Amino acid sequence: MKEHIHKDVVIIGAGMAGLTAALYCGRMNLDTLVLENGLIGGQIANAVAIENYPGFVSVNGGDLVATVQQQAENFGAVIDEFDEIEKVTLKTTPKIIETQEKIYEADVVIIASGMNRRKLPLPEEKKFAGRGVHYCELCDGHAYDGKIIAVMGGGNAAVDAANFLTKYAKKLYLIHRSEFRADEVSQRRLRANDKVTIMLQTEIKALRGDKKLAAVEVFDKKTGETKTLAIDGIFVNIGVEPNTKLFKDELNLTANGRIPAGEDCKTEIAGVFAAGDVREKQIRQLTTAASDGTTAALLAEKYLAKLKEAK
Amino acid sequence: MVKVYTIQSCPYCAKVKRYLKYKDVEFEELDIEKDPAAREACQKLTGMDWAVPVTTIDNETFVIDYDKEELDKLLCL
Repeated sequence: MKEHIHKDVVIIGAGMAGLTAALYCGRMNLDTLVLENGLIGGQIANAVAIENYPGFVSVNGGDLVATVQQQAENFGAVIDEFDEIEKVTLKTTPKIIETQEKIYEADVVIIASGMNRRKLPLPEEKKFAGRGVHYCELCDGHAYDGKIIAVMGGGNAAVDAANFLTKYAKKLYLIHRSEFRADEVSQRRLRANDKVTIMLQTEIKALRGDKKLAAVEVFDKKTGETKTLAIDGIFVNIGVEPNTKLFKDELNLTANGRIPAGEDCKTEIAGVFAAGDVREKQIRQLTTAASDGTTAALLAEKYLAKLKEAK
Repeated sequence: MVKVYTIQSCPYCAKVKRYLKYKDVEFEELDIEKDPAAREACQKLTGMDWAVPVTTIDNETFVIDYDKEELDKLLCL
């Protein structure tokens, strides 16, 4: 029999939006629980250097996360990073979050479940995962000291990963199927490195190797030419998809799987807020995630005050 | 004794270590970046040049990454 526990606020996800919401909720003396079954910090936990977060010239993602986590916990928010959510029921009062170990009854739910990284969509991915195909440059980059590395992707995460991996690589290919989406500063830094060859409008068609990855077959969309590049390892950074599977029976989602909610972060269900990258919006940055977390927490507190008045 | 092969900068290694502590599992941490013998043992165990975090209890069966379900099975948690 699972234990039933009441919480003022349950925050789903401990990325920047979730942690900021936790910090604010904790500071307003709300009984706050954060549930996260991935990495605390979400996508930025892997970031080597963040240079566009106000207040820091450059900060390591893990260090920034640890600080915000500390702030949230100092104000009494509890973060559980091991229990996993099995089911959510949001239309009831209170809302029910059932985990592997407990059943939480929450007056407010803030969904800040963020995004998951996309896997390399090639049949050989499974064969070479960990044997040349990697997703975490901080974890696996060192294995390619003095070797030839490819990075797949053209956004900020890919270019930042490539910039980081140049410290190991004797040669590095940045391969992307269209044009850069990364910011100019990161692009410039990469272009200035002699070890780097940038291959835009280029698709990876196949991975080659016996037990270990040894080469990739690439197709140049501009010339129509296919060629084989000898590489030792590839780091995949081809974007993310919203982590909303848990909510698909409770909330209407947009065509791309995000949660529709305005700048007030309110969803179609009273007392349920969506914050951060999981919310449908134009700009998804660390700063806007923190902004969403703030908004959701402050409006959650107002909602809770009305709920108490009505009782 | 449970062994966990790690490197310092890997956030998933940190998560596995926190999980084992949360579950009161005693373990030995082996940093494959600093310890060549540990790297060799990890390579022999997994058949991979480089993999972290790797958790093993018997130097035969192992779990790569933070995979709670698999860790629970491996360590009978």
